[in-house]
Amino acid sequence: MITAAMPRRSASSPLASLFAALSVHLGGEAEPLAPLEEAAIARVVEQARAGDTGARETLYVQHVDRVFRAVRGMLRSDADAEDVTQDAMLTVLTSLHKYTPRADARFAAWVMTIAVNTARRRFRRRRVQLTATGELPEIPAEGPDPADGLDRGRRRRALLIALAELPERERVIVSLRYGAELNASDIGAALGIEPATIRKVLERARTRLGTRIEALLTPDGGMS
Amino acid sequence: MNDEELAIDWTTLQPTVRQRRRIDAHVFAWLEARDTPLAAEWLGLFRVAPFSAVGLIAVSAVAIATATPLAWLARVLM
Repeated sequence: MITAAMPRRSASSPLASLFAALSVHLGGEAEPLAPLEEAAIARVVEQARAGDTGARETLYVQHVDRVFRAVRGMLRSDADAEDVTQDAMLTVLTSLHKYTPRADARFAAWVMTIAVNTARRRFRRRRVQLTATGELPEIPAEGPDPADGLDRGRRRRALLIALAELPERERVIVSLRYGAELNASDIGAALGIEPATIRKVLERARTRLGTRIEALLTPDGGMS
Repeated sequence: MNDEELAIDWTTLQPTVRQRRRIDAHVFAWLEARDTPLAAEWLGLFRVAPFSAVGLIAVSAVAIATATPLAWLARVLM
């Protein structure tokens, strides 16, 4: 369980999610919602399929940040991640009638299959790779506590550089693990790979990422 | 670096409020347009700009009424 990535507030009804979404529209803070249980997601999917727009918005709010975090790990810029997130979420919300529940994978796995396919389709002709001089993170240069912001920005940049150096398959798999918070079975279902293989790849990628990030964050690592 | 530390680092890839707002605006606008029937679009146009709506309808009607005979005439002349 990834406790640090877990959101703070719970949304028990489509209405609560709708208010959260409207709050973002009106300029409030984008507070992530607690993820719903799979059974609740299944009910919301059924309601959304029946034309309930509140249910559709609940599905959107439940998955949009995960999709963004996952595709941001795969792609080379924030702008690309925004575009792919928009397209993927639209495809999800307009293709719910095609979704077939599976015993071995959660709804989120289906969402991420669409997100990965959207990213691949969009950048088929372009090499999906970050560069070591990738975009600087969107953090204020000066703020109430610059040290916190700078440290977060450095860690973000180190993560993006380390990700850029991974082979594409490993990058996609770790992005689904940590960005989308999927487990090995879900990732396997999303990519059509055996969960055992996913676990091996994850272990290898985690070691490589960790070593590289720590090297980058040392005083001589070029990130200070 | 363990599983949890990497998960914490990954939270730095969370979209900013500005990014989320842009994504939300695009998705909701597209869904709203998809959900709105054509008749409702026309009614909305009448409410916002009644004269323009009447003008648009008049131009459309004239175009539809004249397109067929004009196409026939063009074929005959060629």
